Amino acid sequence: MGSRQITEKSLAMLRSLPRLSLGNIRDNPGSRKNIKRGRGQHGGDKHGAGNKGSGQRQNYMRLGYETGNNPFYLRMPHEHYYKGHHHRRQYPPISLLEIQKLIDTNRLDITKPIDIASIVRSGLYNFFPDQKHFGIHLTDEGMDIFSAKVNIEVQWASEQVIAAIEKNGGVITTAYYDPHSLILLKNPKSFFQTGQAIPRRMIPPPDVIEYYTSAEMRGYLADPEKISEERLRLSQKYGYQLPILESDKNYNMLCERKDPRQIFYGLEPGWVINLRDKCILKPKDEELLQFYAS
Amino acid sequence: MNICVKTKYLRSSFVSSLCRLSTAPDLEQNEQVVLIDDTEDVQAKEAAIEKKRNKSGLTQAHYNIINGRRPYEEPKCIAHLTVKYSRKMYGKYGIASGVNPSLCWPTREELREKKEFESVAYPYTIKEVMDSVEIKRQEQKLKTEQREIELASKFAKLEQWKKELNDKINKKANEVKAAKQKKERLVEEVRRHFGFTLDPRDERFQEMLAKREKEQKKLEKQARMEAKEKIMIAKLQQKNVEISEK
Repeated sequence: MGSRQITEKSLAMLRSLPRLSLGNIRDNPGSRKNIKRGRGQHGGDKHGAGNKGSGQRQNYMRLGYETGNNPFYLRMPHEHYYKGHHHRRQYPPISLLEIQKLIDTNRLDITKPIDIASIVRSGLYNFFPDQKHFGIHLTDEGMDIFSAKVNIEVQWASEQVIAAIEKNGGVITTAYYDPHSLILLKNPKSFFQTGQAIPRRMIPPPDVIEYYTSAEMRGYLADPEKISEERLRLSQKYGYQLPILESDKNYNMLCERKDPRQIFYGLEPGWVINLRDKCILKPKDEELLQFYAS
Repeated sequence: MNICVKTKYLRSSFVSSLCRLSTAPDLEQNEQVVLIDDTEDVQAKEAAIEKKRNKSGLTQAHYNIINGRRPYEEPKCIAHLTVKYSRKMYGKYGIASGVNPSLCWPTREELREKKEFESVAYPYTIKEVMDSVEIKRQEQKLKTEQREIELASKFAKLEQWKKELNDKINKKANEVKAAKQKKERLVEEVRRHFGFTLDPRDERFQEMLAKREKEQKKLEKQARMEAKEKIMIAKLQQKNVEISEK
């Protein structure tokens, strides 16, 4: 009966021991690592800067510097045709297809003249006057399916685009805005909230004066009579029947143009717009009037 | 001080409380018009109530902004004294901001400066710019045309120039060839004189060569003299003939 005694003894022993719980079990072997206690917040490490050299000292070399080698960007001979490329005007493009999409999705109102302000307001086009962006370049993509009759003003357009718009009975103008005017057109509200008088639009620089005075490109400084001649000539070149503008029921809307000094449709330079009081303040001082009219 | 207020704009409970609080003896209980008593203590009470009602914990400036009023009535820093700030306040909060809108336009001095800036930044009118661009274009065109004419005239002469150059090169080559042959002949003669091949660097060879060259030169000189004499004789004869003919 020795085995029975042993069993009872061991059972008695078990009963006297504490119950097994999470508090008194041993860890899995290898689950705890006895690490050295480093000094500092991150255990005395390198703070992500690596070991030795430029990285550790965090004296980052300037871009393109090759520690004493002849740098790659200076190794080539001078390429003069890139001279001044960072000063050139840029015209971020928008295609006729996109314009058609804006019209079809009711983001552009074609019962009113369209300019850069209304296109930016659609929310699907953006540009940055401080990055040498000088407005819209209307490209010819989707010109075969463009079918809206619009009075549109862009900053750059090609001959095909002009033809595509005039074929549908619309009119197009290419107009120059100086960067300051473009800032105003991009966000009129923030300008009106500064409580300043609307400034005048400045004249284009010499290298684009030909573009904006040419009737072929429908420049805003071109002679209107020459423009109507060019409209006819272009229709004959591209072989479409030019819709008669005078008999159009939207004739007044289609004939609306900005003054070369004007920035916003319907608002003249020198006016102060107050959005809070919903009022327009016009100057009466003779000198001011003269300045804003010049 | 009393104000007339239309009853319909006031909540009835508010009105009744006002009636209760009012101490004025000439209170009119008219249907249309109620006289509101706003003596100082009542106003103070109202203000205290309003203050208790404002549980937002915002600063006065922020509270003003979210309620559509300008944040500060009196300037808090130097920037608040500028014209730019005043314009901004007018632009944002309208005539309620208390700013005189005439500030929105430039003063005479500013206008003068603007004009001066524009006279420097945009010195030319559109017409002038157009003209100058046109002139530049014409100049460029003229330059291109002239260059084309120059190229055409040079191209016409190209074949002749090619021929001249080739002749010159051939002539030079022939001269070099003749001189070499002459030298070779001399060396050969010297060798023949000695009867055996001698090193050209040898002293005897050099001496002989010099001698030969001298002889050759003498011969040449003689030949030239003879040729000259012949020409002279011919000339003299010619002259004689002319004289006799006369």
